[in-house]
Amino acid sequence: VPPDGAPFSPARYKPPATETNPALEDPTPDYMNLLGMVFSMCGLMLKLKWCAWIAVYCSFISFANSRSSEDTKQMMSSFMLSISAVVMSYLQNPQPMSPPW
Amino acid sequence: MKNLYIFIAVLFIPWSFSLAKYDEFEDGDDIMEYDDNDFAEFEDVNEDTVTESPQRIITTEDDEEEATVELEGQDENQEDFDDADTQEGDTESEPYDDEEFEGYEEKPDASHSKNKDPITIVNVPAHLQNSWESYYMEILMVTGLLAYIMNYIIGKNKNNRLAHAWFNTHRELLESNFALVGDDGTNKEATSTGKLNQENEHIYNLWCSGRVCCEGMLIQLKFLKRQDLLNVLARMMRPASDQVQIKVTMNDEDMDTYVFAVGTRKALVRLQKEMQDLSEFCSDKPKSGAKYGLPDSLAILSEMGEVTEGMMDAKMIHFLTHYADKIDSVQFSDQFSGPKLMQEEGQLTKLPETKKTLLFTFNVPGSGNTSPKDMESLLPLMSMVIYSIDKAKKFRLNREGKQKADKNRARVEENFLKLTHVQRQEAAQSRREEKKRAEKERIMNEEDPEKQRRLEEAALRREQKKLEKKQMKMKQIKVKAM
Repeated sequence: VPPDGAPFSPARYKPPATETNPALEDPTPDYMNLLGMVFSMCGLMLKLKWCAWIAVYCSFISFANSRSSEDTKQMMSSFMLSISAVVMSYLQNPQPMSPPW
Repeated sequence: MKNLYIFIAVLFIPWSFSLAKYDEFEDGDDIMEYDDNDFAEFEDVNEDTVTESPQRIITTEDDEEEATVELEGQDENQEDFDDADTQEGDTESEPYDDEEFEGYEEKPDASHSKNKDPITIVNVPAHLQNSWESYYMEILMVTGLLAYIMNYIIGKNKNNRLAHAWFNTHRELLESNFALVGDDGTNKEATSTGKLNQENEHIYNLWCSGRVCCEGMLIQLKFLKRQDLLNVLARMMRPASDQVQIKVTMNDEDMDTYVFAVGTRKALVRLQKEMQDLSEFCSDKPKSGAKYGLPDSLAILSEMGEVTEGMMDAKMIHFLTHYADKIDSVQFSDQFSGPKLMQEEGQLTKLPETKKTLLFTFNVPGSGNTSPKDMESLLPLMSMVIYSIDKAKKFRLNREGKQKADKNRARVEENFLKLTHVQRQEAAQSRREEKKRAEKERIMNEEDPEKQRRLEEAALRREQKKLEKKQMKMKQIKVKAM
């Protein structure tokens, strides 16, 4: 029960120590970001449509798992890169993607 | 004049190109004629046109010699065709007459070709088909993305609803116990925001402060990642539950020195490996709490028996037995520094900072399929937390216990120092060497008379230091000997 009358200052909120090591807590968004960029580069360079689609998925997963403290610019850039990979693959080769089987 | 020559030369080039093309045209005359005639044929559907085409086919498929022979025939035919309709070349094409009268240009071709060489009818490429069906993989992909987005929205909203349901249930209890409920650290003044901090789509924080004994309490609602479809699918294989983690930081004077934990056996084994303090101070395996009337699912990790005795009073046992299914772990520690830091040995020069903490981890019932109503069942657990805070303040070790505790802590510190002794020595050595090098550099950079002076000074200083050290060592040895 808070004391009556006695002046006392409550301690302020300090972000938990895990925030100094966010990668330790959950590296998923960082991995997915990196993976997305790698796949979109593969898709662009090697003109593989499925690479580009996986890149889009990776960037979505990274966004869903991201922390609020993280940069939106990073997310957006990875997302844009993957979309551009998909678009470029289709512009260069409008044929539909063939399944691997 | 020069310009004129250049101009003429420039004109020459395209003209020569056109000549060359014409040559080509002449060389491939027969082929070109063949093509022209083909198209010409298709324009007027004529017996003659039909007759011409088989000839062309023959010519292309036969040997070159035959082709050249036929070419002449072709030329004649072309002339005839150009003039008027004639029935030329019929003798050669007579065997095909029957099929010719269909009126379709392809059929005679096809029927003839069946006898000679099979023509593979190539499928029209998919992207020219103008049908959506060929793009089914893409449609699948887009549908998958839409499903992901839908799941994201639904999951995010569910987590949000659960968090607010929890907060609404617990708000009264918290506000009656804490002066400051909800703070995000941004305001200059310490005023209650009365709101949860959303760290993530699945993690919500709440900071409460302003109570006697404790510095503050951080509540983390760690929900499952319902917003991530991959996680949802993974959870179908391996069920998990939402967790509520409460960390109470105690004031230094309000808690005695002991390390104690109680919880599910699995959780305790994991914590013993991960947590710095539990691994150092609680060396035994988790013991069963049956002695105190706890259910079998719970086990105890303690620094010494006296602590367990002190902690397990009637009310605590009541809490633990009634809500055993919701308790994952409860940890009281004065040496709490979080999980073990994975560092290289060379880097660890100082003990990590410790804080007196009470750490509670509760599982939300429902094992993933929780509804906002389940949050009400966690309210008694919060009462347990409040009770524990008061208890930790009241509980004091007796003299024996205190001695043991102090001995333990000294032992841990000594071990640590031993481990890092070599590193600290090296660090000190390197520092000394750095200093020497810096001095030498300074000496080198100076001019001659200055240099000499400094050299002398440095040398003097060094000698003095060495002497002092030797004297100290001698003194120590003497004292030890005595």
